[in-house]
Amino acid sequence: MDYIAQGFGEAIRLLAGFDSEVYRIIALSLLVSTSATVVASLIFVPLGVYLGIKPFRGKRIFSRTVYTFMSIPSVIVGLVVALLLARRGPFGYLRLLYTPAAMIIAQTILVIPLILGLTYNLSKNRGTPLEKVSRTLGGNRLDSVILIIRELKIDILVNVATAFSRAISEVGAVMIVGGNIKGQTRVMTTAISMMNSMGDYPMAIALGIILLVVSFGIHSLIYSYSQEEE
Amino acid sequence: MEIRLIGTRKKYRNTMVLDIDELTVPGGMITGVTGSNGAGKTTLLHIIAGLDDSFEGEVTYDGLPISNHIRESMTLVFQKPYLFRRTVYDNIAYPLQIRNKSKEKIGKEVLWAAESLGIEDLLKKKGHQLSGGEAQKVAMARALSIRPSLLLLDEPTSNLDPDSTLRMEGAIRRYNHETGATIVIITHNMEQAERLCHNQIKLELGRMI
Amino acid sequence: MKKTLTYVLLLLLVLGTVSGCAPKTEAPAEAPANDPAEEPAAESEPVVEESIILATTTSTQDSGLLDFLLPIFTEETGIEVKTIAVGTGNALQMGRDGEADVLLVHAKADELKLVEEGHGTVRNDVMYNDFVLVGPADGEIIYGNDIGAALAAINEKGLQFVSRGDDSGTHKKELGLWKALSIEPAGEWYIEAGAGMGDVLKIADERQGYTLTDRATYLALKDTLQLEVVVEGDEGLFNQYGIIPVNPNKGDMINEAGALKFMDWLISEEGQELISQFGVEEYGEPLFIPNYGK
Repeated sequence: MDYIAQGFGEAIRLLAGFDSEVYRIIALSLLVSTSATVVASLIFVPLGVYLGIKPFRGKRIFSRTVYTFMSIPSVIVGLVVALLLARRGPFGYLRLLYTPAAMIIAQTILVIPLILGLTYNLSKNRGTPLEKVSRTLGGNRLDSVILIIRELKIDILVNVATAFSRAISEVGAVMIVGGNIKGQTRVMTTAISMMNSMGDYPMAIALGIILLVVSFGIHSLIYSYSQEEE
Repeated sequence: MEIRLIGTRKKYRNTMVLDIDELTVPGGMITGVTGSNGAGKTTLLHIIAGLDDSFEGEVTYDGLPISNHIRESMTLVFQKPYLFRRTVYDNIAYPLQIRNKSKEKIGKEVLWAAESLGIEDLLKKKGHQLSGGEAQKVAMARALSIRPSLLLLDEPTSNLDPDSTLRMEGAIRRYNHETGATIVIITHNMEQAERLCHNQIKLELGRMI
Repeated sequence: MKKTLTYVLLLLLVLGTVSGCAPKTEAPAEAPANDPAEEPAAESEPVVEESIILATTTSTQDSGLLDFLLPIFTEETGIEVKTIAVGTGNALQMGRDGEADVLLVHAKADELKLVEEGHGTVRNDVMYNDFVLVGPADGEIIYGNDIGAALAAINEKGLQFVSRGDDSGTHKKELGLWKALSIEPAGEWYIEAGAGMGDVLKIADERQGYTLTDRATYLALKDTLQLEVVVEGDEGLFNQYGIIPVNPNKGDMINEAGALKFMDWLISEEGQELISQFGVEEYGEPLFIPNYGK
């Protein structure tokens, strides 16, 4: 039992002393997941809003497809991306496998359905009345999309935070396309998994603490922001 | 702006909700639309507003079919105000902002619209912090700020106390008088219709009576 | 209050990120002091354009040997080594597919076959370590040097045994040992984990059962386990590591030059010397015995 307590003690020491390896791992996790979330959001939030208010055929099939992909297992995304980026694969010449870029690509693909689906849903339910008002005041579709994004920005942010959580907590995709290479593609989740396997509990616990802090922290930030807006 | 509807019919799940052979809304006047619930008043208004395009028949505006230009010179105020989560000023300014008007012009027009409705003191308040009556006035001001030549109103005074109701009617009358805009107003209140409107369209079960 | 907390959080993360982007080179704990002062910034090193993908086994990585050796190699040659740790079977397949530049595994028979089939340029001995049978200190198998006898006893008495079950070098070694006894292990007592050595040791620990492990991984995890070495020193437990540069005819993405440099470094006097030093300080004995050319 005291190896747990000892682990905790070491963990605090690693964090407080700004151990460079631990922080490198943390920084990479944040970089990869934030980039993926930002890229996915910049494109698919406006798209999701637009599709939510635009009438088109096959809306139901669209919803169903997107919702299905929302819960796609991360290992599958990792596998598909790895197959595409492998040396023998169609994009092997880009030499992206086992790099942070590949990890960002995989996580972006992972969160796109989530962002698109959640935003589409939000727009369909709460954006439609806004779209009507905008139209009756002379706005075109672009005006409506901008209006909806501004009016529902808290809800959109919550969705984005959800997507970020999914990204930063997943281990399957980044493990397969990144390879958990020390100093290069090792992120919190892959490191925790490996360190547990190696019995290096202090590091695993240290990273686990940070992972929790980040997860809770992001949502807490959004919550404060939403309270301010009231 | 004169509006004409010819052979306008709309079905909703096997029920004919609107069935009009010929209807003219005279330009420059305040026209009331009355009738019991489900008579088709809102449907008619939405069709005129260009919100609904699944109907049979023809709608013309001074003889022309609907276009972006025409859309930009008409506004509609819904029964529920649907104000934006920003200041009253920004709410009223919205139609001007999306038409890329200059900052000075926006300032002038917003003030004018606010004064018409007597809500200058509310300009700094946030849209979601107003009472029902205040919100309705802001919604009206928002619809007026670009000085539309066609103003469509869906029961604009239903949430107002008698005093505010008369003020709103006054604002509507003044606007019509000052700009010669065509105004179509749905109302449940027969006395209001008598007071305010130059003429009335009475609907029952989708048809004119 | 919430606002302050938020800003403090952000500040910490920023500070952490900044320090995380600090120099890549850290003084390896057991390295001989051969470079005077370390360059304070990794940026002043040769820009690492060259990189090789090294496919190796999980047990090799878990031992920590590579974490110790590779930074030294990179500093001296400017070649970045991307270590992908998978099961032996997988590593060999990566060699066949040309997805790696060099392989470091411990399955000599399969390695030679790989070179024979033309997938690898050459194969060289690098080092060896040994396997040991570990199990509960107060268990039914008493300490000794006869692995055959121990395994036969385990089979007969149906004692808990955890197998790697993942086609790894360790797994192949284990299967070879059973085969030599003409035993086909089966039954509730025989667990096939399909996991890396570290995890398998933990499972064995959990169930206070037996497992075959390489000494290095066991030593690395010893403090966290309640398992002891029960059989060691048997000739059949010898574990030879080999290095194979992948045949460049597989495609122009194979970094043959880099792979050869790595191999040459590992089998050089310096490389071999470093290998023999690894683990001495921490465990009192080297985890691997270099044996190129012996």
